Amino acid sequence: MTTPRFEAFLAKIYVDEEARTRFLSDARGEAVKAGLTEQEVDAVERIDRVGLDLMAKSLERKHHRRPSQ
Amino acid sequence: MRTTKDRFGLGWRPALAAAILSNLDRIDVTEVIADDYFDAPRSERRALRTLAAQIPVTLHGVSLGLASSVPVDKKRLEKMARLCDEVTPFSWSEHLAFVRGGGVEIGHLAAPPRTAATIDGALENLARARTIVGISPQVENVATLIDPPGSDRDEATWVSQILRGSNGDFLLDLHNLYANALNFNFDPIDFIARIPPDRISAIHLAGGKWIGSPGGRRLLDDHLHDVPDPVYDLLLEVGARASRPLTVILERDGDFPSIDCLLYQLDRARQALAQGRIRLIDGYREQEVA
Repeated sequence: MTTPRFEAFLAKIYVDEEARTRFLSDARGEAVKAGLTEQEVDAVERIDRVGLDLMAKSLERKHHRRPSQ
Repeated sequence: MRTTKDRFGLGWRPALAAAILSNLDRIDVTEVIADDYFDAPRSERRALRTLAAQIPVTLHGVSLGLASSVPVDKKRLEKMARLCDEVTPFSWSEHLAFVRGGGVEIGHLAAPPRTAATIDGALENLARARTIVGISPQVENVATLIDPPGSDRDEATWVSQILRGSNGDFLLDLHNLYANALNFNFDPIDFIARIPPDRISAIHLAGGKWIGSPGGRRLLDDHLHDVPDPVYDLLLEVGARASRPLTVILERDGDFPSIDCLLYQLDRARQALAQGRIRLIDGYREQEVA
């Protein structure tokens, strides 16, 4: 598992609020529509929703800042 | 036991520049964000070379996205190579993260799914980085607020497999480790114990804050707060296991305290690592006696 398509899907739901909203209302449907493998679809259905929400908010706050670590 | 000469320094930030240069008797090294100079005017790059003549410099990348099933961008690597040629840092580093996908820039370091595919991708990207830049990067563990979806192994296993596969060096960010351990309920000392100790060559220290609501709180690694006490304890644990000379960098990105406060944190790091080194030496002596 883990294809470029899967990483692209994650990047999209991390930063795109509309895509994330669609995903949260129908995770399986959005994942299938994105062409993810069955394993990847299962993985995003079990996604850490608390973490996704906090990460998305954190990214929104630093939208114009350079990543650091 | 190897000879150890640990070095301690601060991340180079414009707001700290004067203070760093005024305290070179207490600061051994500085870490510069490489990406800030990729497209910088010649005058700024010349200033960086001047800095490197005054204090040992390590370059730190934040945008390559090495831990990905997608090949790392050759142009970005060529920019890193050019900067390394100009500045001749004693090392350079990048994160075990992905930062973009499908044309979408995440704008931060995201933890990839911990799978065989991202290990293979990271190993291929590290080989490409070594070929183009000429030196292998130290790779750094990242903090994450989300448990990386699709992972089939824990972080210590995943990182160790990359380190063993690449035979590369590890920049262990102890606040990232501390935050992940609290957020995802694992023992950070167990993590340290499972990393090949001979691969650890550098340390990052930083601080953060709690975010979220009760029942859903996570520790955010924001580089805007002082280093918390448990992170010094983890540094002691590293010193007790890793015998190589370590470069320890305190990262602070904003809400800057006085330089005395930052130097105090560096002194605490020196003390913690020295305590760990004593434990390491005692361990060797016990082995000799046995």
